Amino acid sequence: MSKLNRPAALRLHNLQVSYTQNGRPVPVLGKLSLALGQGEIVSLLGESGSGKSTIAKAMTGLLPPSAAIGGGELIVGDGAAVDLTVNGVPWSKLRGRKIGLLFQDAQQALNPLLTVRAHFRESLRFHRLASSAKEADGIGARLLAQLRFSDPTAMLDRYPFQLSGGMCQRVCLALSLSLKPAVLIADEPTSALDTVSQKEVLDLLRRVREEHGVAILLVTHDIAVANAVSDRIIVLNRGVIEEEGEARAVLSRPQAAYTRKLIASRSRIADAPRRSDEMPTASEPVLEIGRLDKSFHKRPVLRQLDLTLHRGDIVGILGQSGCGKSTLARCIAGLERPDGGRILYRGTDVVRLRGRARREICRHIQLVFQDARASLNPRRTAVQLVQEPLRYLRIGSRREREALARFYLNEAGIADELQERRPPQLSTGQCQRIAIARALILQPDVLICDEAVSALDMSVQAQILALLQRLHRQFGFAMIMISHDVRVLRSFCHSIAVMNEGSFCEVKPAEALHLESRQPYTRLLLQCAGELEAGLG
Amino acid sequence: MNMNKLAYNSNRPALSLLAGLALLGLLAVAILGAPWLAPHDPLKQQASERLEKPSLQHPLGTDRFGRDVLSRALHGGQSTLLASLTALAAALAIGLLVGLLAGMFHGSALDAALMRLIDVLLAFPFMVLAMLVAALFGTGLVHLLLAVVSVWWVSFARLARSAALHAKSETSYAAARVLGASSASLLLRELLPKALGPSLVLATFELGSLILSVAALSFLGLGSQPPAPEWGSMLADGRDHFLQAPHILLGPALFIVLTVLAFNLIGEGLRDRLDPYEKSDV
Repeated sequence: MSKLNRPAALRLHNLQVSYTQNGRPVPVLGKLSLALGQGEIVSLLGESGSGKSTIAKAMTGLLPPSAAIGGGELIVGDGAAVDLTVNGVPWSKLRGRKIGLLFQDAQQALNPLLTVRAHFRESLRFHRLASSAKEADGIGARLLAQLRFSDPTAMLDRYPFQLSGGMCQRVCLALSLSLKPAVLIADEPTSALDTVSQKEVLDLLRRVREEHGVAILLVTHDIAVANAVSDRIIVLNRGVIEEEGEARAVLSRPQAAYTRKLIASRSRIADAPRRSDEMPTASEPVLEIGRLDKSFHKRPVLRQLDLTLHRGDIVGILGQSGCGKSTLARCIAGLERPDGGRILYRGTDVVRLRGRARREICRHIQLVFQDARASLNPRRTAVQLVQEPLRYLRIGSRREREALARFYLNEAGIADELQERRPPQLSTGQCQRIAIARALILQPDVLICDEAVSALDMSVQAQILALLQRLHRQFGFAMIMISHDVRVLRSFCHSIAVMNEGSFCEVKPAEALHLESRQPYTRLLLQCAGELEAGLG
Repeated sequence: MNMNKLAYNSNRPALSLLAGLALLGLLAVAILGAPWLAPHDPLKQQASERLEKPSLQHPLGTDRFGRDVLSRALHGGQSTLLASLTALAAALAIGLLVGLLAGMFHGSALDAALMRLIDVLLAFPFMVLAMLVAALFGTGLVHLLLAVVSVWWVSFARLARSAALHAKSETSYAAARVLGASSASLLLRELLPKALGPSLVLATFELGSLILSVAALSFLGLGSQPPAPEWGSMLADGRDHFLQAPHILLGPALFIVLTVLAFNLIGEGLRDRLDPYEKSDV
């Protein structure tokens, strides 16, 4: 363990955790120790499966029943050491009160039946930090104001579902801080947020560290997030600390081979924009979207949206969450029916088609979802999953279907021995490969990728993008790539459409999209992304 | 608190399935082999041996006509299980079909009509409906089944509908639609497997009360007629003499309990089997 140059806020000694899998214990963490100084922000950086969340959960008593703690001691501030292996750790006195918690999905962390006000009252009075409801409200309002809510009193009466993901995370932060914890553990607090809210929450984390003196352990897979806020970084790989040190030193002069690999995999998503001369020469458009309108409960989500796609085009759609980009994807794929406008596939209006005729369009327009694992039926093997569209549309004989499925699985990088496995036995990256193979087996003209790489680890992201690029060259379909990540879009797409409140505010070739844009919204998106990246190679 | 000690044992589902199957196998052998295994003729009355206590000759005693309770219970299993399992299977099939259709076309006129029908049936007292069927169509096994099934499918339909609504909100359902699945494929391949697990578990729990309802209906004259042995009617018969000879209830009750237990264990095990994520809990 590295030496702290300030008094410790939290120490964890020799944590050992194993999970029971198929009746056998699989060790995840072996004798892991770490420490946080007072008012320090430390990032625990690692890919999925590295055990970073297990550490956070073990320190808060939230491990699932399949986990067993083999050893470990936790010391908060100058308190007594808590043996994590024994029953009866007084979590209700530690958790929240001494160790605050932020989760990835803030909306789910809040009780949907309670207002923000009720949340403050409940936790403050449980921990006896407020003697009356009024006092609790006061504390809540003050904290919300500190966390840049423009109207804190109105916010107190909101329910979680009335708030955006970023707002929920800020409310959670305010709730955690109201108990004045010495340490805050934030488990991927910004992974589910778009770039703008991400930056907002990270800025606030830095601010509360200064104003409240709370030490923060930030669990993340994202180097940019770690880079943006941390004083120190701990790099974790397969339950072992690979490297630990001052943030800038770790990122600019990584010592461990693993850290170097992690940073390299990030820069494999080249920051250089794609050159426009790679753009295919215009032919007949395959997809023409005109004046598309869609509203949910009278709230317009798509407004008079136009988009034209030619064979071989890759168009990126960039926007914050809630801008309507997923609704657009679902309309094109036939999952939602637009209220107005047209979607022409090679001159046929898809919106008007019903039944068998609409299903035939599925041959030509395919969608890959963000949550690959959820998009696959867990009961079927990889080779069965890829055959699904052929079965649905009655294409080929049983043997032909299977042969074709195996061909596409191989193309997507799923080796023979993995083809009989089911999604629960495969990694998320492998699931996404299967989903891509399944979408391409119909040889579509249009492939829509809705945040298809956002949920993946950085190294897997680079692999999937490379795969898509290769398949695109091989099969020549047109692509719509939806993402909130400028970096992914700039390196991958020929042109980028910036979407705001249901319509495109700017459509530019990838190389022409830059900070000097005339559109204020584009500037905001690029700025936020740029600040996160600042100082990263 | 460290909950590790109380951790869910992943070996349990396989165990419960095996235990259930073993128990059911034993019962099946006993019931199907009744003609050879039963110590006495189930119909033979022996006026000298009325309401006898369990003995070596009559392990579960005799009833008010001096018939051997064990022999009657073994023979009676056939008609009881045939009737209740057929009724259960039919109710399950109808309930799943109706529930999945309603769930699939959620919000449509079809959904509304089916759900209102279910509300009406739920509000209607079961016995009254069954008596109505008996009055309309007459007695006999087929009519008994008709009466039971006409009411029993409702709870399965409710369950299947809510399972279907849940499954519809999942990404894999949207994915199947994008891949060109027809309504029939969606229903059979995406919704049915999700509804089947909970429905099977419910079915095993319902079996016990179904056997008792079949008995109640036999009491009303629907279904099997005396002197043919049947668990439900044996219970109904025994009720009159149960203060003098409680053991006559013991035979049929024991068999009902064992049967329901066997099916519960199987249902529990099946549900875990049918849930693909249960096994690889990381």
